[in-house]
Amino acid sequence: MITSTTDCGCESTLVAPAPLTTKDFRSDLKPIWCPGCGDYGVVTALYRALVAIGRPSHEIAFISGIGCSSRIPGYTTAYGFNTVHGRALPVAQGIKMANPDLLVLVAGGDGDGFSIGGGHVPHAIRRNLDLTYIVMDNHIYGLTKGQLSPTTPRGAKTSSSTYGSMEDPVNPLLYVLSYGAGFVAQGVPADMDGLAKMIEEAIRYPGFAFVNVQSPCITFGDPDDQLKIQKTKMRKLAAEGHDPSNWLRAMELAQDYGKELYTGVFYRNPNPPPTYDSQIRERQATLRPKVAAAG
Amino acid sequence: MLNDLIIGMAGSGGDGIVSAGESLISALAQDGYYAILTKSFGSQIRGGESSCRLRVASTPVLNPGGTLTVAVVLNWEDFLRFGGELPVGPGTVVIYEQKTKVAPDAIPLAVKPAIVRAVPMAELAMKSAGTLQAKNNVVLGLLAGWFGLARQSILEGLRKKFAKKGAEILQGNERAYAAGLDYADKNPLEGDWHFNPPQAGVGKRLITDGNELCASAALFAGCKFFGGYPITPATEIMQHLQRDIWKHGGSLLQAEDEIAGIAAVVGASFAGRKAMTATSGPGLSLKSEVMGLASLAELPLVCVNVQRGGPSTGLPTKSEQADLFAAAFSAHGDTVRPILAPISVEDMFGITVEAFNIAEQYQTPVIVLSDQEIAQRKDIVDPVDRSRFKLVERLEPTAAEMVDYTRFRLTESGISPLSHPGMKGGSYLAAGIEHNEHGDPCSSGEMHEQMNNKRLNKLNPLKQRRDLFLLEGDPTAEVGVISWGSIAGVALEAVRTARAQGLSVKLLIPKLLYPVAEEVYQDFFKSLRRCLVVEQSHQGQLHRIIRMWVNTPAEFTSLAKSGANPITPDDVLRRISAMTRATASA
Repeated sequence: MITSTTDCGCESTLVAPAPLTTKDFRSDLKPIWCPGCGDYGVVTALYRALVAIGRPSHEIAFISGIGCSSRIPGYTTAYGFNTVHGRALPVAQGIKMANPDLLVLVAGGDGDGFSIGGGHVPHAIRRNLDLTYIVMDNHIYGLTKGQLSPTTPRGAKTSSSTYGSMEDPVNPLLYVLSYGAGFVAQGVPADMDGLAKMIEEAIRYPGFAFVNVQSPCITFGDPDDQLKIQKTKMRKLAAEGHDPSNWLRAMELAQDYGKELYTGVFYRNPNPPPTYDSQIRERQATLRPKVAAAG
Repeated sequence: MLNDLIIGMAGSGGDGIVSAGESLISALAQDGYYAILTKSFGSQIRGGESSCRLRVASTPVLNPGGTLTVAVVLNWEDFLRFGGELPVGPGTVVIYEQKTKVAPDAIPLAVKPAIVRAVPMAELAMKSAGTLQAKNNVVLGLLAGWFGLARQSILEGLRKKFAKKGAEILQGNERAYAAGLDYADKNPLEGDWHFNPPQAGVGKRLITDGNELCASAALFAGCKFFGGYPITPATEIMQHLQRDIWKHGGSLLQAEDEIAGIAAVVGASFAGRKAMTATSGPGLSLKSEVMGLASLAELPLVCVNVQRGGPSTGLPTKSEQADLFAAAFSAHGDTVRPILAPISVEDMFGITVEAFNIAEQYQTPVIVLSDQEIAQRKDIVDPVDRSRFKLVERLEPTAAEMVDYTRFRLTESGISPLSHPGMKGGSYLAAGIEHNEHGDPCSSGEMHEQMNNKRLNKLNPLKQRRDLFLLEGDPTAEVGVISWGSIAGVALEAVRTARAQGLSVKLLIPKLLYPVAEEVYQDFFKSLRRCLVVEQSHQGQLHRIIRMWVNTPAEFTSLAKSGANPITPDDVLRRISAMTRATASA
């Protein structure tokens, strides 16, 4: 692989180094996750995707919020930033704006992304910086021991809803599709190959890319919603003949969130618009010479 | 002959009062005077009452001053709405619109001014220019004529201002100005009201405000990222930066909210760039959690908080100094964030540069407490001598230090080398969760104690920064004054006047408000028996903060008023005199 970057302090590699392996991306830190947690599968899929992408880990910034899943940057060798609850997206956008050469990944749970941080999602989408946002959606608050999350189904009994939830859940897929996200996919750790491929595709998409991972909580989650059961329930969109350039069809399929377990790419914009970061470079380039000329 | 002239004008939004003030200060700058122009509005976007005060002198003006020398009243209702902001005294010349149909001996003021003149301003405007809109230029003519102010420069300014609007409008306004001049010449004031001519041979001066200087200082300091959200009275900082930051290879985000604004700033700083945000009270509250993240992750950033009246929406268009507690204490946990405050428009440049330097050197968020007055008043200042300032860059790890890189290494200074994405070997985990030296999450009490020591003790050298304190007056004085922010200019004038009157007094102006530099205050207090703290807040927040850390003199009092209630040099002078009498008789 040959990289040559300009402004970020990254070293340009002139001789192709040995190919990267998952070991290059796995840190020594032991995950705090419970045995059987879906998030193990997500981090493994991510290692694989990063191997395929081939950027060295020091050129990657991996940002998260707060929650079980937000611990994920620490389990990689990237520059990690485990920020505050709900603010991973704005922090990540600041990083990408400050240094567009970096590969910027964002991750967190459904509470982080669609409850406390829900207000940032539409703006990250419309701003369209080139970053990849992975939500580990387990329909529960795990770190605080089992309260309602924004994607908990109506009627669910949790430690904060003894008599059952009285609210409808947020539909993350419809949410991001309706705000115009250019890449929207859903995966499950039970299908490791599919998930790794999907994350790789999301990273390659030039613009804001969203991957919702149905990542079951073994401790506080619905027993009918675990990895083994995912294998029997999942329906691959590709196998069902879905055309990912069809936004209206994607919106239709997304409405079955919570009913059908679709996996794969719901939508990929066939004509990606210019990213915010590319416009930053352009504006800097157009305006900069004028200063030099003015002396 | 006058050496110090304070003009106050008030009218309705459409009367062009503020525009007249701006024309006047431009002309005065041209002629080599110093001046301060403050504007005050109701909180309406358009219309409503508006006013301005302009204080002019041949030497640098320290504050907008107290009692008016000249009051210009376009209508009494609007003028009276500003109450104490436009105080009329027995020495004031009052000029008002004849159309208000108030007899000169029946004007609605508590004091009897020196001179009262009813002028047919609207009539003069209609006769000369054919439009009421030219009323403000009649006013300029009156002021130029009666007080000998910048007669020619005002005319040149009007020509520039109206050049693009066509010959008809330009000539109309010129005639309105001439009509004002003519009226003044034909109806002279009793006594000598002519203003001292300016010093000859002065260089080019600048008309600017604190928000503008803050933006240019940030760019000078190497700021490469701004993230923020519009809020009065801080918005202009973002507006100035969005025009220029790209030219310096930087970028700017008008975020979806205050929190996203500062979160992006933290991100940019993590990415290795100097970064800032600007806000006002409500925004400061919203940003406090993310500022805590920057404290724990030891990331530099600058947060400029332009204070306005609070709490909540409060008095969004008026100045106050009541965010000191919020700036010092709004973080949860054991956190110290350095707080700096400029004392004037001119000072905003140096303070902003200093804020970046401290942030980068100590890897900490720094809060700049500007205030609405400094941010938005217009001052005539000498050009900033940029060679006076040195820039500080953050400490980065050496190649050797990036072998088994230890981001939060416990060093003697408490400062550990900071890498950023893109640096090979420098990868680490930044987090809001407590960490060990490597940055790995860690909840041990011992490690937490060590990291708190590191983060708090690294700021101790700041307390020795005596250059961040202004000290003036008699070192052995038994009477002292402390003041900060824009009000410090008032205290400074009062102390100088007191000393000119033969009183023994000294003044301390802290520009570093937090951490509290105990030794600096202790040294100041050594000779004192009485000390007064002057500030624009109801509680007297600095007065209270000093008492938390320092043993104060036996009599340690506060002169504190809520925002929008002027504190004048005379107010301070009276307190100094009283303290001096008490000390002498004891």
